[in-house]
Amino acid sequence: MKLKILSLVAVLATSALAAHAEGVLSIGTEGEYPPWSMADADGNVTGFDADVGALLCAKLEMECNFVVQAFDGLIPALNANRFDVIISGMSITAERKNEIAFSVGYAEFPNRFVVSADSGLAGITDIPAFLAALDGRKVGTQAATTHANFIAKLAPNAVLLTYASLDQQWIDLASGRIETAFADATADQDFLDRPEGEGFVMSQVTIPSTYDATLGEGIGVGIRQDDTELKARIDQALCELIADGSIGVASEKWFNVDISRPCQ
Amino acid sequence: MGRPAAAGRTLLPRGSMMEFGLAQLWADGWIYAIARGALVTVAVGICSMVLGLVVGTVCGLIKWQRTLVLSQIVDVYTTVWRGVPELLIIYLLFFGSVEFMARIAAAFGFTNMGGGGYAFAVTVLAIGSISGAYSTEAVRGALAAVPIGHIEAAKALGMPGHRIFRRIIAPQMLRIAFPAINNVWQTTIKDTALVSVVGLQELMRTAFIGAGSTRHPFVFYSVAFVVYLIITLVSQVGFNRVERVLSSDTAKVA
Amino acid sequence: MDLILMAVPVLLKGLVMTLTLTATSVAIGFTLGLGLALMRVSNSAIAERIARYYSIMFRGTPLLVQLFLIYYGLGQFSFVQDSTVLWWVFSEGTRCAVLALALNTAAYTSEILRGGLQSVPVGLVEAASAAGMSRVLRFRRIEFPLAIRQALPAYGNELVLVVKGTSLASTITVLEITGYAKRLMSQTFAILEVFALAGVIYLALNVLLIGLLRLVERRLMRHQQR
Repeated sequence: MKLKILSLVAVLATSALAAHAEGVLSIGTEGEYPPWSMADADGNVTGFDADVGALLCAKLEMECNFVVQAFDGLIPALNANRFDVIISGMSITAERKNEIAFSVGYAEFPNRFVVSADSGLAGITDIPAFLAALDGRKVGTQAATTHANFIAKLAPNAVLLTYASLDQQWIDLASGRIETAFADATADQDFLDRPEGEGFVMSQVTIPSTYDATLGEGIGVGIRQDDTELKARIDQALCELIADGSIGVASEKWFNVDISRPCQ
Repeated sequence: MGRPAAAGRTLLPRGSMMEFGLAQLWADGWIYAIARGALVTVAVGICSMVLGLVVGTVCGLIKWQRTLVLSQIVDVYTTVWRGVPELLIIYLLFFGSVEFMARIAAAFGFTNMGGGGYAFAVTVLAIGSISGAYSTEAVRGALAAVPIGHIEAAKALGMPGHRIFRRIIAPQMLRIAFPAINNVWQTTIKDTALVSVVGLQELMRTAFIGAGSTRHPFVFYSVAFVVYLIITLVSQVGFNRVERVLSSDTAKVA
Repeated sequence: MDLILMAVPVLLKGLVMTLTLTATSVAIGFTLGLGLALMRVSNSAIAERIARYYSIMFRGTPLLVQLFLIYYGLGQFSFVQDSTVLWWVFSEGTRCAVLALALNTAAYTSEILRGGLQSVPVGLVEAASAAGMSRVLRFRRIEFPLAIRQALPAYGNELVLVVKGTSLASTITVLEITGYAKRLMSQTFAILEVFALAGVIYLALNVLLIGLLRLVERRLMRHQQR
């Protein structure tokens, strides 16, 4: 037993050293946000974020090492040097820019609500009317996301419930603990495609990121503010990957649509 | 690879009580992940307990001797650490003071902050410091329970201080403190479940991820429940055995 | 300073929820714990065993696992969702948190009270019986007051554990002190300040609680001396 523990500690320690060996890019990702970032039993990460990471590493001629971390802890963990970058479908927002730097935006998605098909919310087509209709209703979002901040700001009278992971949010929507959930349309679609998504529909209203500043300016790679050299290299690599269509292909693979956006 | 959205996902228990998802445990290797998680939990528990005992012994002695200033510092430490939720302490230690944590981690040999090693070190530090606060009280209580007459008699015989401690105080203290230390261990191993926030793949975190990706929270949290129960019960048996040995030793001496 | 002015009212809103969770789960948990303690000291072997296994199960596993098992595990089953009474409990994070906290504290309370009940001198109970007291009266006048007096210091520690345990409710969407602190953290990123403030509130609450219990203890002892 003692030996096992010692060897375990040794393995953990060496893996820590390996993580920062020369030429390794350590990437923080959520691991619980299908189809963007999913970790399996062995800790392997798949999804759009994993593919973007792999493309980026190939371009930078580095080796990828994924570190799974709950979304609400990603930015503190990046600043605590737990990994080098965040690739976790993270929107570039003004508040986050106070804490970390971002690469160029490489993707952009519309945001939508998922509602029960027989809910009164399902038929509303106007954004302000929809937001007004949320008064007093239980709305679920993931914690520390742009979606949570959006609801808090634009539907202040809604009862906002926040979840550590998207799966928990879908469980509560399916069981009726919340009346609607707000996320990006790709994640919404993933839920609707599942058996438990039966009886639920996407809201008529689609909220583009441009609707309010809380929704950010597209998805970027999170980088520590003092890592200017790394940021320059990542920006250049991303622009090339967007231009040659690699990111678009990855997007088609996971979302069936191309959500990549031109580099600027 | 491919689209996992279609494969590997089954119906919710909702609507059909037949589909409990026990098969999922075997199918995708989750049972091994759970076993690995349990091993990490035990490792974190033992390392934190050892750290806690070191901290607890030092702080307990300081409190017992009522060393000026130091004793007040220890008072603040134990009061705060026992009065504030463990979850907050873990958050504070992990996210709060980056520089401080980096230095501590470096002291433990983790100069390269990444991967599981750093998370392990931070976890042990957080849980160990909580465990230490409770150990301090256990040690102080046990020291206070050592009959003052024994110490005075040893002093009268001209025994030097360190020998009084080794021969008279330590053996008695150990026996008296043991049941309390047992309690601290039980609390410590259960507190490790809270560190899922720092991303360490221990038992609770594995159950959490498994519950999410297979959509069978009941199965995964039940398994976690049972595994924790096994860990606490087995360690309880071990503690009881040691306790019996300790008390039989003193019986012989007396 | 601006941050404190912004954070304190939010955290105090959380304090109300923390107090509600604590009070409700302690009320239910104490009652349940007393019942379990009586089962432990009863003559029925089955009752004793059930109460013992209950205590082992709930004291041998982390509260977080119990909480998730109740909220995400049990809440999924259709028989829970279809039952009006069960769903009333399981549809709300707050009620699930109270349920988990109450079941958990009941196990610890039962151990504390059992210790208290067993410390009551047999002679006193025998004397009361000899004086013709009924079982209920004997329990109310002799065993219970003496057991409580014995158990009070340990129960004080348990109350502090319940207050700290309420922080876990934040993991199942309940907005108590820790829940609001986490939300403030994700909005302001002032991690150290927000969690230190939250910590101070918890600490003040627990110090107050311990102080209150000391007063009760002294009162009980005065009663004994009289």
